[in-house]
Amino acid sequence: MHSAYGIPIWWFLTVGAMLFCIGLMGMMIRRSAVGMLLSIELMLNAANINLVAFGSYLKTPVIAGQIFTIFVITLAAAEAAVGLAIVINIYRLEQHIDADKITAMKL
Amino acid sequence: MHIFGFEITGYQLAFVAISGVTVIAALGVVLVPNILRAALLLGLTLIGVAGLFVLMNAPFLAAVQIMIYVGAITTMIILAVFLSNQVMRIGFSQAIYNPILAAGAAGILFAFLFITVANSVWINDPRNIIAAGPANSDVGVEAISRALLQPYVFPFELASVLLLAVLVGSVVIAKEDKPGA
Repeated sequence: MHSAYGIPIWWFLTVGAMLFCIGLMGMMIRRSAVGMLLSIELMLNAANINLVAFGSYLKTPVIAGQIFTIFVITLAAAEAAVGLAIVINIYRLEQHIDADKITAMKL
Repeated sequence: MHIFGFEITGYQLAFVAISGVTVIAALGVVLVPNILRAALLLGLTLIGVAGLFVLMNAPFLAAVQIMIYVGAITTMIILAVFLSNQVMRIGFSQAIYNPILAAGAAGILFAFLFITVANSVWINDPRNIIAAGPANSDVGVEAISRALLQPYVFPFELASVLLLAVLVGSVVIAKEDKPGA
């Protein structure tokens, strides 16, 4: 057995699918905006797992999967910063962060 | 190592352990009513994903994942939870909509994805086993730095501009509006 690791690719893809579906479930059942942000992070990580898996399981592994994952992580940090700033602002104005009750763009 | 007649490598055992921790912690992120515990469990999930990156021969990404995701994003979320501290007090019934419906929808999507993934024929068949080890591939830190500075230099610089804009923008958004200031 000359393989280094012995893990089939579809194991990683299955874990990615699991994380994505769990994140999707979280998006649907959470009421608070912070909980929805947590679910978004889960789904982004699922996508990252798939990107890295496809990048490193090619016959000649390519670097592009890892590069795109780095960009996704950067964008996730940016998204979390802006999203949490909005959440804090909404909490200061309305004293709650229930995503259903936030209906006004301008207060 | 032989377990129940199958030959199992240490990497496979590590994969099963790490992915089990990851998926269980992810379920906790979604289902735990207390949002602070959910954020801490998100940290555990992200560490598990970093372990999966190590198993996929991407150790630099694992370090990036732990530094940025676990170190920065989880901290930021916990800070936001503390700043909006009414979130801590809501109970399970308020925190969550109909979980059965959502679990059903997500389960159907997962069934489709799993059937597609498990029935596909991947390269490196017949045994679907990774042929690339650390020796015969060029996906290390050096290759990442070279790729970031040669073919991907424009998105790299664009990301830095974006981060600057986000830094300024989030400060402006979160700043308290004082009348007359």
